Amino acid sequence: MIKVISFSGLCFVLLISLFNCSSNSGKPDTTSIKFTQYVVRGEELYQKHCSNCHQKNGSGLGLVYPPLNTSDYMNQNFEKVLCLMKYGLKEPITVNGKSFVQPMPGVVTLTDLEIAEIATYIYNSWDHNRGIVDVAEASRVIKACTSVNQ
Amino acid sequence: MGKKIIIPGAFLLLLVGFGACEQDRLPIFGQRQVVAREVNGKQVNDTVYHTIAPFTFTDQDGKTITNETFKKKIYVADFFFTSCRTICPIMKTQMLRVYQDIQNDPEVLLLSHSIDPEYDTVQLLHDFAARLDVKSDKWHFVTGQPKEYVFDLAQKSYFATAMEDKAEPDGFIHSGAFLLIDRQGRIRGKYDGTKEDDVDRLMKDIKRLERE
Repeated sequence: MIKVISFSGLCFVLLISLFNCSSNSGKPDTTSIKFTQYVVRGEELYQKHCSNCHQKNGSGLGLVYPPLNTSDYMNQNFEKVLCLMKYGLKEPITVNGKSFVQPMPGVVTLTDLEIAEIATYIYNSWDHNRGIVDVAEASRVIKACTSVNQ
Repeated sequence: MGKKIIIPGAFLLLLVGFGACEQDRLPIFGQRQVVAREVNGKQVNDTVYHTIAPFTFTDQDGKTITNETFKKKIYVADFFFTSCRTICPIMKTQMLRVYQDIQNDPEVLLLSHSIDPEYDTVQLLHDFAARLDVKSDKWHFVTGQPKEYVFDLAQKSYFATAMEDKAEPDGFIHSGAFLLIDRQGRIRGKYDGTKEDDVDRLMKDIKRLERE
């Protein structure tokens, strides 16, 4: 009888701890199937549209193309980063204290979902672990930058 | 008035001879001619190889760059433009690897031609080179007008494609080739500047060429 009680007690503790894990809203979602799909598709799109300049390992190239692997600019300009994927960037920017002036062409054909996937990939690779950037969030951001760009 | 005679037979023999005893030598690209001339009443055959035609450009420091700049040097040439977002960034990434490999070797130089001279001014190339943190006496970024001049040199001298094409994403079509040029201005190797393993082969071939 004692054994049964202690066993169910153990189960209870286990359940509590599991519940605690999944309800920990402070930690970004990096385990769901959706997240994995976004990262896989995001990596493909990154290699198609971005890695020529920013490199597969996100290191950038000298002071010509800025790095993404460690980037205070990315950390501080989340909305702008999503917008510039689609609309490009002409003005100089400062990344990790260094100035970059090469204009970046946008890829206007990117859909909100594709931008969400690329964002999820770059914001969860190298030094970043932001968690998923889902399509609803990307759409909201892109909608806002459209009005600025037009 | 020298009399030029092309002798296909001798040419073939020469090729066979090359293959048999000079296996370690890099090939020499392009058409060649065997030219007969008289020395003290005797017939002597000379092989004339394809070489890079005379050129004049301006580099990122505003210096005039000609064939003389590369006299008795080995160099690697390519064609690009700074605003290109397709293959050029990969080519520059790979050429930077070559640069890092040869930067302390006085025998080897690099020559990157802009095929968009209207946009790629001396000042812009200067900034580009500075941002790659490379020395201008080692890696020359050159520009020269009109653009047809550089297209023509690319095609006829380096056997590399470079032309304007408004249908392309950035307005130009060009090959991603790196060309290895020997001390006599002859092409000794052609490599895909967008492929890391092909650029590894180039770096090995530079060393082979230096031993010739």
